Amino acid sequence: MGQYIVRRLLWVAFVLLLIVVITFLIFFVMPPTDPAVIFAGKQPTPELIAEVKRQFGLDRALPVQIVLFVKRVFLGDQYGWPGLGLSFNTRSALKPIILSRLLVTIQLALGAALVWVLLGIPIGILSALKPRSIFDRLAMGFALVGVSAPVFFLGPLFLYIFWFRFGLGGLGSGYYSIGQYGLGTWFTHFIGPWTVLALLYAAFYARMTRANLIETMAQDYIRTARAKGLSERRVVLKHGLRASLTPLVTMFGLDLGGLLGGAFITETVFNLKGIGAYAIKAVFSGDLYAIVDVTLIAGFFITFANLVVDIVYAFLDPRVRYS
Amino acid sequence: MVTRRTARFLALVSIVAVLATACGGGGGTKATATSSGGVTKGGTYRTAVEDFGFTGAFDPTGEYLGNAWGLYSDLLLRTLVTYKHIAGIPGDEIVPDIAASMPEVSADGLTYTFHLKKGVMFGPPLDREVTSADIEYAFERIATKSLAAQYGFYYEGTIEGLTTHGGPPKPISGIETPDDYTIIFHLTQPTGDLLYRLAMPATAPMPKEVAGCFLKAGDYGRYVVSSGPYMLNGEDQLDTSSCDTLKPISGFDPDKFMVFVRNPNYDASTDSPEVRANYVDGVVMTIDTNTADIFNKIQSGDLDGTSSATTMPPKAILQQYLTDPALKNNLHVDSGDRTWYITMNLLTPPFDDIHVRKAVNYVIDKQAIQKAWGGPVNGDIATSVEPPTVMPLTADYDPYPSANHAGDVTAAQNEMKQSKYDTNNDGKCDGSVCNNIIMVNRNYGAWLDMAPVIQDSLAEIGINITVRNLETGTAYTTIDTVDNLIPIASNAGWGKDYADPYTFAVLFDSSGISCTGAINYSNVGMSESQAKECGDSVLAAWNAVTNNGADPLPSVDDKAKECYALPLGDQRTQCWADFDKNIMENVVPWAPYLYATAPFVTADSVTKYEYDQFSGAISFCHIAVNNGLDPTQVPVG
Amino acid sequence: MPEPLLEVRDLRVHFPTEDGLVKAVDGVSFSLQPGETLGVVGESGSGKSVTFLTVMGLVTSDQAVIEGEVIFEGQDLLKLPKDEMRNIRGSKMSMVFQDPMTSLHPFYKVGYQIAEAILTHQSVGKKEAHEQSVEMLGRVGIPKPRERANQYPHEFSGGMRQRAMIAMALSLNPDMLIADEPTTALDVTVQAQILDLIDRLREEFNASVVIITHDLGVVAEHCDNIQVMYAGKIVEFGDRRDIYYGSHHPYTWGLLGSISRLDSASKERLQPIKGLPPSLIFVPPGCAFHPRCPYVFDRCRAEIPRLLPTDGHHASACHLTLSDKERIFNEEVMVRR
Repeated sequence: MGQYIVRRLLWVAFVLLLIVVITFLIFFVMPPTDPAVIFAGKQPTPELIAEVKRQFGLDRALPVQIVLFVKRVFLGDQYGWPGLGLSFNTRSALKPIILSRLLVTIQLALGAALVWVLLGIPIGILSALKPRSIFDRLAMGFALVGVSAPVFFLGPLFLYIFWFRFGLGGLGSGYYSIGQYGLGTWFTHFIGPWTVLALLYAAFYARMTRANLIETMAQDYIRTARAKGLSERRVVLKHGLRASLTPLVTMFGLDLGGLLGGAFITETVFNLKGIGAYAIKAVFSGDLYAIVDVTLIAGFFITFANLVVDIVYAFLDPRVRYS
Repeated sequence: MVTRRTARFLALVSIVAVLATACGGGGGTKATATSSGGVTKGGTYRTAVEDFGFTGAFDPTGEYLGNAWGLYSDLLLRTLVTYKHIAGIPGDEIVPDIAASMPEVSADGLTYTFHLKKGVMFGPPLDREVTSADIEYAFERIATKSLAAQYGFYYEGTIEGLTTHGGPPKPISGIETPDDYTIIFHLTQPTGDLLYRLAMPATAPMPKEVAGCFLKAGDYGRYVVSSGPYMLNGEDQLDTSSCDTLKPISGFDPDKFMVFVRNPNYDASTDSPEVRANYVDGVVMTIDTNTADIFNKIQSGDLDGTSSATTMPPKAILQQYLTDPALKNNLHVDSGDRTWYITMNLLTPPFDDIHVRKAVNYVIDKQAIQKAWGGPVNGDIATSVEPPTVMPLTADYDPYPSANHAGDVTAAQNEMKQSKYDTNNDGKCDGSVCNNIIMVNRNYGAWLDMAPVIQDSLAEIGINITVRNLETGTAYTTIDTVDNLIPIASNAGWGKDYADPYTFAVLFDSSGISCTGAINYSNVGMSESQAKECGDSVLAAWNAVTNNGADPLPSVDDKAKECYALPLGDQRTQCWADFDKNIMENVVPWAPYLYATAPFVTADSVTKYEYDQFSGAISFCHIAVNNGLDPTQVPVG
Repeated sequence: MPEPLLEVRDLRVHFPTEDGLVKAVDGVSFSLQPGETLGVVGESGSGKSVTFLTVMGLVTSDQAVIEGEVIFEGQDLLKLPKDEMRNIRGSKMSMVFQDPMTSLHPFYKVGYQIAEAILTHQSVGKKEAHEQSVEMLGRVGIPKPRERANQYPHEFSGGMRQRAMIAMALSLNPDMLIADEPTTALDVTVQAQILDLIDRLREEFNASVVIITHDLGVVAEHCDNIQVMYAGKIVEFGDRRDIYYGSHHPYTWGLLGSISRLDSASKERLQPIKGLPPSLIFVPPGCAFHPRCPYVFDRCRAEIPRLLPTDGHHASACHLTLSDKERIFNEEVMVRR
């Protein structure tokens, strides 16, 4: 197992390196905007552009820039470790900005994940146990809405109804950290983003859970479990659910990994200063190192989540181990 | 399994919890507000922007954003001279600020002597007077290459001895400081609009003990020490004992918010309420990426208004404010001192022919463009280079008139007939150069709506354009790279830097041409060496349209130089008016279509609204609110 | 005669489906004595599995319309509340299924799965239950049972898996073990081992055993009595001698003809029964076997034959006369063999 993990980690590192190179190619070589010109003001002289370019590190050859970037990520730069470089926009270190934004996104992602697991999976279980009942039909109807209604529709709708019309100030947009504003304010301002973001996933997970569980409950080992005289509750939870959860757990890992890279629509609509919103801002303002950093982080979460999910799967399904 | 009863109970508990916290949340502690005849003193102006958009990270030496200039000039930094920070032409008048009075100018116009007021103080923790050395230090920073002074060209080549150099700031020979309260500028050439340049934030006094620690572009932006009526919240916490002990001011997070509070060291007797009334106790500006949310918050009372002209109200909301009588007074529209224009490239056929360019000016249906933009609230129809607030003398000047500014197709076609591209005399462009002409445009909002109008208008004179909709920054970079040879573009706008038409004239000066980052998109007055520098294709194009140099491109350099030297006054004004007319009639690089307005939306809590003509933003030092809030208690998320 | 362990009276199990009412079990009556081994033989769809699934309570009135009586140790199981039925299921009666690979939970260790059964019915500690499961694995002939108890089903071979299932079924010392096609999914060589194991264990545990199969050959050596089922009904019942040396039903004859024997002298092909099993929704009128019967006559098409004993023990449901049956058996069936 140890060897397997090491091999996979090396693969993760390789994939991330590839991501960095491709991002550099896309944003440093191909774009029509030149950040040195943009950040040199309204009437830039050639000397000014050259100075800005030099300060941004853009005057070197592309391979050199890439190598320096990778080196700084691993070894740190003058702003600390990992070396995430300088933001052209604020001309300050990227690391504190990215870390604080990442914190917000993590809170958003984890909260939403909790909501969609607590909402989606029980609904899916109950639906599976009573297929074609009223509950099942309602649940699958809800699932259809959840899967179809996009965040940029549900988000503003939520804000409009609860914050604007009903005047529930605590449900408005914006991020209010626990440290500064207390648990209550922090929580109420997250209700909207969590709910809206989780709805899509909850719906999806409800459908998946239902389908998996129905299939699992038709398996022979369920019959054996009943034949042993186990209570129906035990049969469903320990035998049925246990088997049908495995694909869900892996999917959850991948979904969460992707979400940690930033849910930019939710973040923009609810004015949460997360890393997804920052990616958009960075791209539109030509803040090149910010773009690479955010892409790298998102890539890291996804590839790492893939690795974790594979390992977890081996724990959950003994048939997969050591193969 | 959770039973039904338990589930219902939990649901009830959660709803109660949500309501309890929700009703209690938001807002800050209420202080008392005093009022006198409608205008209330105190309170906090709470505003939001989608993004600060600073070009130089709020370091006054390099910062070029108009909104930032407003924050500096209204709140934070006093300069030798300043403006009254009000709307209209009076808002562009120069008045003394740190200077006790207008300067003594030598007869040859090369020496300006200023006497400073006593008692103009830096904010805590510095607690000391502003001296002439502090002002001179600002100019030293402008000349320091590593600080990337983005408008350093206003001073380099004008002030003697001020040339950009690579080392740390060093004294400038052309600036004398015989004592703490006297500063003398020696100029290399007569510069009539010098006073405007001395009102710009880069020239504000900078304390060496703090600013001297930050010699890289943008770094000082988080440590700006106030010399004005307000300061950044937390400035007093700066530990100035050494450069290493300095930490960024807590009231400014470039990713999130800016909080301004009163500067306790500010002595109002050294200032004038005409220039700065300072009603509010503070300003809190937060970032909100959701534009509709900003306007909703203004209506719900969580914000007091917008602060940037770039925070455009979405069409539906704008309609509300235009039609609802309860809201009408909360929409304020002033002149933005900015022109939106179509630029034509003198190097690319068919626009190398002046008759074609004149025909374009005749044919464009500006009335339809204004409609596409959403009506007069978003702009007045432009007929010359400068907006009337910058150049009042050309306010009624319309060299290419048409009924209702809807375009005059006949006149346009008549003009076309005189061009070499109308071979069959039908008033339309003939030949392959008239088709598939790329026009660079912006890819959102009013620009998208306006593109078809331009397309249809130009089709009337046989010019068929292909519209390229690009993101704002990309659009600019595309047209400011000379060797892209973009024939025509509608994405561009130009706002004044200060109220002298010189800041528009630079657009047509040959010095405005550079291979990347050009502002003279039309290439007016381009020389052969300039063409050569920008590449073979540019040189080839130049040779083609100038017959290998036999018919050089029209140039306005000499005319500009002439007006530039004149001192402020009627003669200078008339000179620039003639310059404008010359551009529009004899060079015709542009077809201007709108003068931008600056629409702002406020909430009912604003008891006095004012617009700062200099910055193009809300005049923070003249507005008043009645919310009585303490700026340090407003949640900034 | 001692009290029968299990007595099934006129059991009917009908499943309502969208296409119609599936009469899986349509009037089945039999009894099982303590210590007896009963073989239940039939094709797929004969109702043999459903009968015993219903006895076990694994087919319930939620899924089907059930009529009749299932008396086990004096109680009518069909009238028992679900909780009490669960107490009986797995402890007093247990079942082993066809495919041990799919019948064991892939994610839990084998020892755990056996211990689970023990813990459900006995109040013992986990360690004690684990010890018992290890012991059971040993008793079913699995070498190194302690190691094996900590392994997962996929680490066992097919035969060992089935032994483990049997261990699980016997772990609570049931009075009745039902084995539904216990060897069908296994190699031929392993089949014999498993059947021998069941024999041995029956004696050790003193249990009654039901072996359900489609293969008459399987039950030949191991069953005291054999009942042949077709289309939801019992068509013949008898002991070993009755069935193999004097059976009285054309379907049984067909089954006998399709047994392969190693010592078969003739090089003749196996004789499958002509035709296909009938639909259980639209059961043929009269004798359900009549469309496939080589000896069919008019009465067969109109009247359902009743299961009638010929000599108190051997019973068949066929309109042929006794002498016809004997004649046909001796002349045709025996010859073929």
